[in-house]
Amino acid sequence: MQLAPQQAADPGVHAPVLSLRDISKSFGPVQALKDVRFDLRSGEVHALMGENGAGKSTLVKVLAGMHRPTSGTIAAGGSEVAFGSARDATAAGIAVVHQELLLFGEMTVAENVFSGRYPRSRAGMIDWGLVRRRARALLADLDCHDLDVDAKVASLSVAMRQRVEIARALNQNAKVLILDEPTAALAEKDAERLLDIVLRLRARGVGIVYVSHRMNEIFRISDRMTVLRDGQYVGTVDAAATSEADLIAMMVGRSIDQVFPKVEAQIGAPVLEVRGLSSGPLVQDATLTVRAGEIVGLAGLVGSGRTELALTLFGITPATSGTIAIDGQEVRIGSPKAARDAGIAYVPEDRGHQGLVKPMAIRENISMAVLDRLSPGGILRKGDEKRIAAEGFRRLGVRAAGIEQPVGQLSGGNQQKVVIAKWLETRPKLLILDEPTRGIDVGAKSEIHRLMGEMAQQGLAILMISSELPEVLAMSDRVLVVAEGRIAAELPRGEATPQTVGHAMTRRTGTTAHGRARP
Amino acid sequence: MINRHSHEAVLAVLAALAIAVLALQSAEFLTPANLMNQGRLMTEVALVALVMTFVIASGGIDLSVGSIMGLSAVLLGTFWQKMGMPLPLAMVLVLFSGALCGLFNGFIIVRFGMPPLIATLGTLALYRGLAEGISQARSVRGWPEWFAQIGQGSFAGVPVQVWILLAAMAVAVVILGYSRWGRTVYAIGSSETAARFAGLPVDAAKYAVYTASGLAASLAAIIFVSRVSTTRSDMGTGLELDVITAVVLGGTSIFGGRGTIIGTVLGLVVIQALESGLSLAGIKGDGTIVLIGVVLILTLLASTFAESRARA
Ligand SMILES: Nc1ncnc2c1ncn2[C@@H]1O[C@H](COP(=O)(O)OP(=O)(O)OP(=O)(O)O)[C@@H](O)[C@H]1O
Ligand SMILES: [Mg+2]
Repeated sequence: MQLAPQQAADPGVHAPVLSLRDISKSFGPVQALKDVRFDLRSGEVHALMGENGAGKSTLVKVLAGMHRPTSGTIAAGGSEVAFGSARDATAAGIAVVHQELLLFGEMTVAENVFSGRYPRSRAGMIDWGLVRRRARALLADLDCHDLDVDAKVASLSVAMRQRVEIARALNQNAKVLILDEPTAALAEKDAERLLDIVLRLRARGVGIVYVSHRMNEIFRISDRMTVLRDGQYVGTVDAAATSEADLIAMMVGRSIDQVFPKVEAQIGAPVLEVRGLSSGPLVQDATLTVRAGEIVGLAGLVGSGRTELALTLFGITPATSGTIAIDGQEVRIGSPKAARDAGIAYVPEDRGHQGLVKPMAIRENISMAVLDRLSPGGILRKGDEKRIAAEGFRRLGVRAAGIEQPVGQLSGGNQQKVVIAKWLETRPKLLILDEPTRGIDVGAKSEIHRLMGEMAQQGLAILMISSELPEVLAMSDRVLVVAEGRIAAELPRGEATPQTVGHAMTRRTGTTAHGRARP
Repeated sequence: MINRHSHEAVLAVLAALAIAVLALQSAEFLTPANLMNQGRLMTEVALVALVMTFVIASGGIDLSVGSIMGLSAVLLGTFWQKMGMPLPLAMVLVLFSGALCGLFNGFIIVRFGMPPLIATLGTLALYRGLAEGISQARSVRGWPEWFAQIGQGSFAGVPVQVWILLAAMAVAVVILGYSRWGRTVYAIGSSETAARFAGLPVDAAKYAVYTASGLAASLAAIIFVSRVSTTRSDMGTGLELDVITAVVLGGTSIFGGRGTIIGTVLGLVVIQALESGLSLAGIKGDGTIVLIGVVLILTLLASTFAESRARA
């Protein structure tokens, strides 16, 4: 498929390619959308904004034909349509990259790009040569010449999978492309590449609906923004005439201090002391200390070994050498259970897969790490369980129908709050947070930061992994930079700047200028 | 609540219906004597099915239960008659070796990460082979009177083995429905990774369910030997299919994460009622199997339908 570059014209002259009127959607008692209206013009990037649980993904699924609205009308290209299935939406020229990627892991890149609608040769056989050639051309169009179209999708990184999704969308010759939080799981560089692709597609006249919680992205690429709050339509504004503060006020209904307030906590005795820890190629001779009341940030590129270090501390991939001590006592951590018993909690990066049992209720997920405490003699005390679940639910401000709702039905941000609630319930000494605010709205994000400050003040030692440099710099008392599986630099709060951290992240190991200062 | 228990509701209606039809068709059916006899007949399958509910709810399966039953029967005869052990000691050793067979299943599954279907398919052949090798096609008879009581006697008007079954049922209901181990089983069945990341003892739980499964199969073997007064190496052949049918009919998801003991018990009752009713009506074995297959499929369809209606 050859996409002819088209002149980027004034968006005003484009008629709406997609127009929604009074769309409502309820799931039983949950009213996820109420009288929402939305217009998309061709050649514009239209951001869809709102807090976690505002209904963005639900609206996206209505557009994708996956949910049938309870009431309201959808018009595509001027005429009214009713999507009975995802296939209908595809036929109407709407392509979607969902928040949870839907690719078939065991199939190859090329097969995924075509997803069942293969070109046939005259004899009726699938023309694999053509399939591969077109998949390759589409991906080259998206700036990934380096991708093997015969590779299984399961073996690809998230960034690559996302591009395969987009290639699949383009292969449908879509007039409308919907991206639901596409950058949430991407490193900064990959996110940049994705934004470039979005801008190029806009220039070709594709209408793009873009969902994200990242303000800087939204302002960089979008032409207009529509804000939802609690499933209701709040308004549509022009990006050029709107400030970040205005937008946030529309989203949360009040203004929010977006600068992470760093609370001063009393820094006490060392809680975690790690010496010469190694496990696999990505954890090499790690030595670090985290003190009570201290927040230590782990910065580094994606794939540098930060998560692997956390997994070793948490007993998923036990250490092959080195020592770990908690409160001065050496501990052996061979399993997550041993880690929990030693007072280590880990909020994982992949919450859908590692952090939560999705079909289970919020209550069952919050109590999961403390089942033994809740069941002296083995029998679960349901009353106690309900009480702690309700408490965690309230403390973290989870938005859901109640503690009996299955977590799989919650919005992404609310799922994250449930994971944090679960681990706080173990009353840990050391809390490891892996990308704690990924995919989380501004309000909840500053709430989580406030909570981190509060926990530190109560003497909890916190180790935070984040790919968002501003977050690391704002929250950390100390920053450790990880590169190629080693701790490449240690910077106290005063010395940690985007320059020093960025420099240490990319510098080759072995040339440690700052030295690994020992406390 | 309605959609959580819709399957059990469908089953309860079905069981009541089957029993009503059978009672109308045959005057013998609803007599206490017949009901007690039905209880006797279903005990062996039921004991194994109770534990199989845990196995399947944890996302696993145990195909080797029939072979463990056969091996246990043969070992009981061998320990007692050939090796001259006191019978009570032989019984304890048989329970122990059944548990050991289950533990070995758990070991292959946990330690080598082998899919349970394949691991227990392998041990299905292995344990059956052992049973045949040890028995040398000889059967053991001449069991003492007190031993025959287990499978043939009654206590307070109810067959002895039915008392054992009721006790096992109570324990299973409490553990699966109300204890942390039951919760752990459901969590593993829904998402093993997330269960592990929550610090739940995933490996220990798997060892436990497979060991219990082996133990239940050997207990069933003792009851069976006592009931029929003989041992044969082909005892329990095909048991795994009866057991799995009852558990799945009872609403336990074959993918794990869902299932209740009450459901399994209802599933067992429906199957037993159909089997006995049809035999009273003079229908032969093949017809029974076909009907049970049809009932299984229709029930699962009906409850899926009821569930989607409740959700919409
Ligand atoms: N299948 C479902 N059943 C019941 N409730 C649902 C279902 N899907 C979504 N909801 C509810 O609808 C509301 C909106 O959810 P949605 O996923 O659209 O939020 P979102 O704006 O995409 O949030 P996030 O930014 O966290 O992704 C939430 O309260 C959620 O719990
Ligand atoms: Mg969403």
